[in-house]
Parts: sequence; C-alpha cells; structure tokens
Amino acid sequence: MSGLLLVVAFMAAINPLRSRIALPEDGRGRVRPAAIAVAFAVSLGAIALLGWWSAPILGALEVTPETFRIAAGLVTILAGAWAFAIPTPAAEPELGGWRDGLWPIAFPRLLAPEVLMLAFAGATQNGVAATAGAAAAALAVFGLVGAMPTGGRTIRVFAAAGRVLAVLLVLVGIFLMIDGIRDV
Amino acid sequence: MFRRRLALHLSVLIVGAAVIRVGVTPAEVCPPIDGASVSRAIDEAVRWIVTGMGPEGRYTYGYHRGEDRVNPGYNGPRHAGVTMSLYQAHAFTGSSEALAGADRALGFALQGMFTHGDFVAWDVLGEVNTGANGLLLAALAIRREATGDPRHDELMRGIGRFLLIQQYPDGSVSGYWHRSTGTSDPIFGTYSTGEASWALALLDHAFPGEGWGEAAARTVDYMATDRDRREGRLTRLPDHWAAYTISELRPDLLTDERMDYARQLAGYFGMRLRFEAQRRGDGINLALRWFPGPPAGVGTAGEGIGALWAIGDDPRLADLQPNIEERMLCTAGFMAQRQVSASEAADALRPDLQRGAWFYRGYTQMDDQQHVLSSLLYALTLIESREDGR
Repeated sequence: MSGLLLVVAFMAAINPLRSRIALPEDGRGRVRPAAIAVAFAVSLGAIALLGWWSAPILGALEVTPETFRIAAGLVTILAGAWAFAIPTPAAEPELGGWRDGLWPIAFPRLLAPEVLMLAFAGATQNGVAATAGAAAAALAVFGLVGAMPTGGRTIRVFAAAGRVLAVLLVLVGIFLMIDGIRDV
Repeated sequence: MFRRRLALHLSVLIVGAAVIRVGVTPAEVCPPIDGASVSRAIDEAVRWIVTGMGPEGRYTYGYHRGEDRVNPGYNGPRHAGVTMSLYQAHAFTGSSEALAGADRALGFALQGMFTHGDFVAWDVLGEVNTGANGLLLAALAIRREATGDPRHDELMRGIGRFLLIQQYPDGSVSGYWHRSTGTSDPIFGTYSTGEASWALALLDHAFPGEGWGEAAARTVDYMATDRDRREGRLTRLPDHWAAYTISELRPDLLTDERMDYARQLAGYFGMRLRFEAQRRGDGINLALRWFPGPPAGVGTAGEGIGALWAIGDDPRLADLQPNIEERMLCTAGFMAQRQVSASEAADALRPDLQRGAWFYRGYTQMDDQQHVLSSLLYALTLIESREDGR
C-alpha cells in the first residue's frame, strides 16, 4: 500500500464528515475543543500503540500480515457498506466536557473496527510512523470539521459526503483483500 | 444508559473479532523444522516410491488404506513426473536409491519410444501425450546434469524436436499427437503447456545455442498473457511448471514481463500455502477449512514457490524472498508432520504402502509423493544454507 493510499484509507475509515454527525456540542453548535483534543490524542495514541504491537500480536495469533490484510479488507468492506446504508450514526449518551473526547468521540466513533484493522494492516506493511501519520492526517480533518458549527443543511451535506467516503472505504477494502490474496 | 451502550459496542467488537478469527484468520500453524527432519521425510518419500515399483519399472499408482485397495490405473505424465522427481532427489541429495529407481522407471519409458520424421516421442499406453514427453525430457535433463552421463543426449534432442512440433507459433502447445494421422491434436492439456516449456528450458541448459530457450520463452509469454482466456479458464492457473520454466530461463530471456508473471505465480503459491497452514482438519476448523489439502496440490505450490526461490537473487524478486522462505519452511514443517512415519505404518495392513506417504482422506497416489518430495528438496536446500550460515 502506498503512503497516499494509506492516507486515503484512513480518511475513508475515520470518515470525518460522517463521524461529526450527532456528536455532543457546545452552545454554538460546535464540538468542544477540549473534547476534540482529547479524542485526537487518544485515537492517535491507540492507533500508534496497535501499530506498534501489530507484529507481536499477529505473531502470537499465528496470522501472517498478508492473511490479516484479507480480514482487514473484509471488515472494511462491511463497514463501508454499513456507513453507506446508514449515513447518520446514532447519538450516544454524553459524559460531558472534555470527557466527551473519550466517549463517544474517540470510542466508539473514531476507533471503529475498520480503523483498528487498518492500524494493524497498515503498520505491518508500511510501518508504525507512516500509519500513525496517515491516521493523524484524517484525525486532523476530523478536528477541523468538529470545530465547524452544524445546522440542518450542514448535517445533510456531511451525510451525503460521508456516503461518498463510505464508497471509497468499500474500494479500499476490495484493494486490501486483493492485495492480501495476491501477496506471497 | 452509558454503560449499556458501552457494553453493546464492546460486545460487537469482541464478537466480530471472534468471528474474524475463526472464519477468516485461523492460526497458520507452522511446526518447527530442521534439516534432519526434512532429509528424513525426503528419504521416506523416495522409499515409498521405489519400494512400490514393479519389476517392469512402473510405480504403484495409488493406494486406499481404508479399503486396502491398490489403484490399478496408470498415467504417463505421472510416471514421467515421479521419475523426474526421483532424479531431482538424486541431484539435490545424492540419493543412490532415487537414482537407481529413476533409472528403472526410465527403462520402462524407453520401451515406448518411437521415431517419426526427425523427432522422437514416448507413446505411453497408446497415447502420445505432450506433458508426459515434456516431463520425461525434464527427467533426462536433470539426470544428465546430476550424473554428467551423456548417453541420452540424442534422445533428449529428439524429444525436444517433438515438443517444437507440438508448439504453435503463438507459444501455445498441443496436448496430444496422433500416431495414426501424424498430426497434433488441437486440444490443450491443463499442465502439458508448462511441462513442455520447462523441458525446453532445461534442454537449453544442456545444449546452449540451439534455440531451445527461445522456444521455452515463447510459451512462457503465452502462459503469462493469453493462455487462461484461450483455454477457457475464469481464473489464472497457478502453474508450478511455469515457475520451473522461468527459474530455468537464461538471464537474457528474463524480461520484465516474464518476471512480473513470476511475481504473480509467487502470489498464488503463497496464498495457497498460507491457506493450507490454516487447515487442521478437526472441529470447527474442519467445517470452515475442510480437510488438509490433497498432498499433490500442496506439493505443487511448494515446489513452484521453491523454484522461484531459486532465482531469488534476481533483484526483481528479491523483495519477495523473506515471505517465500517463510512459506517454504512452513510448508516443509506441516508436510513433514503429515507424512506417515515408520511407527505409524508399523501396524498397518501394508506398511510399505503407507510408510513415507501423504494421504488425503485415506488415499494416496504416486504424484502426492512426487510433488511434496520436490517441494521438500527446495526446502532442504534453504534449511541447509541457513544451518551452514550459522
């Protein structure tokens, strides 16, 4: 997987536009900056940590990185199809203040199964730094989108654009599966 | 509310991970293996083949241990293929038992040779099969290389000319030749194309400058581009004979297109062997992955990837070498484990037909031993090179 494709893959998996929908907001219709910062740090840390541990974990599970890419592709395709079918994620209960960054922003919104799978697959093929960098780019876009106030029309635009990214996620999944099958 | 939602999301993650683990990524089990174990497995396989030979130089074709029944059938390409594999065993390990057995089997084949025009071919049991002739020529070439004995040189060239008769200008290869009409049959054999091209590549090594390598390369191009479409296959044929051919082509014939094809082949073999390592044949694994695969099928992937490993010093394949070596060692590990040992065969009705064999659901066939044997020979070379380097 090239570095560019890795960025595209994380952008489609994190799906900043869809992920922004139905998040806890302040009085001005924005996600609280402290919550965004916490979500960014926790998500990036988790992705980097998973990437760091990917080789020993896959070794312990006796799974080759090539075979894991097939599984990652499958999960990614299913997640993309789900995001396309349901463009507006369900609202989750809030913890309030900066703790919203932990729940529901970092988990379950950002650290979704397809993102976790990509962290593993990306790190074993492209290295931890490249994977974390790609994830950071997608998370940064999420941070920018989170700072934007939302209204009825904005949500509809986010949902529509999120569907486009969902289709892209399906394509990424197909690529991962083919890559895993064709690799030695 | 928060706790309920958290529990729901965590449950989805855990259940999903379990489903993926069981259904998509079961453990790829690679038992540890060393040179001594692989050598033993090779010797036992040679022993099965040679012990089962009849006085006329034919091999035992197949044996069903559940029914204690020997399969009376026979098949020219398999006879030639097993003979080739025995010569490989002699070439790789110096086994005199393998050489003696192969020479007896060669004697059986030589009785069926005939001359037509300027070529020589083997009529095996009433059929002039291109693949059988290709593998017989490959066997002769490996024998010549290993022993330095030139006694069959003219026969080798004669069979080579037969293979050229069977080759069409686009590189495709007719599967059969009719003695009654003196014409090639426009029917393609699944593997005879690759068998013929490999034989021609080996002939080029034996007799450089006579144009055999160019003919082999023509067929490699056909296999790499048009074969599957023209021969009606929906997917690419993971052809180990094609891998052998590329591994034997002269360096000046190793174009980027042919090396790309080699990379594709490595991918097919790698996937097959990774999948095979997931098979344990019991419990839920049996339902999802079925029984451990037919040994001949596993062996072809093993020898194909082994042949590509042998040209791993080419920079266009160098990046694949770590994975190729991993698959070779893994395959050697689980195939050595799956082979019937002397102690396991001791109480059997016919120990000699079980010891050293690989069975698939109670049945073994000569080509099961052939292909796994060939794959283990490459693995042994790899393991010994690592052990020597330590």
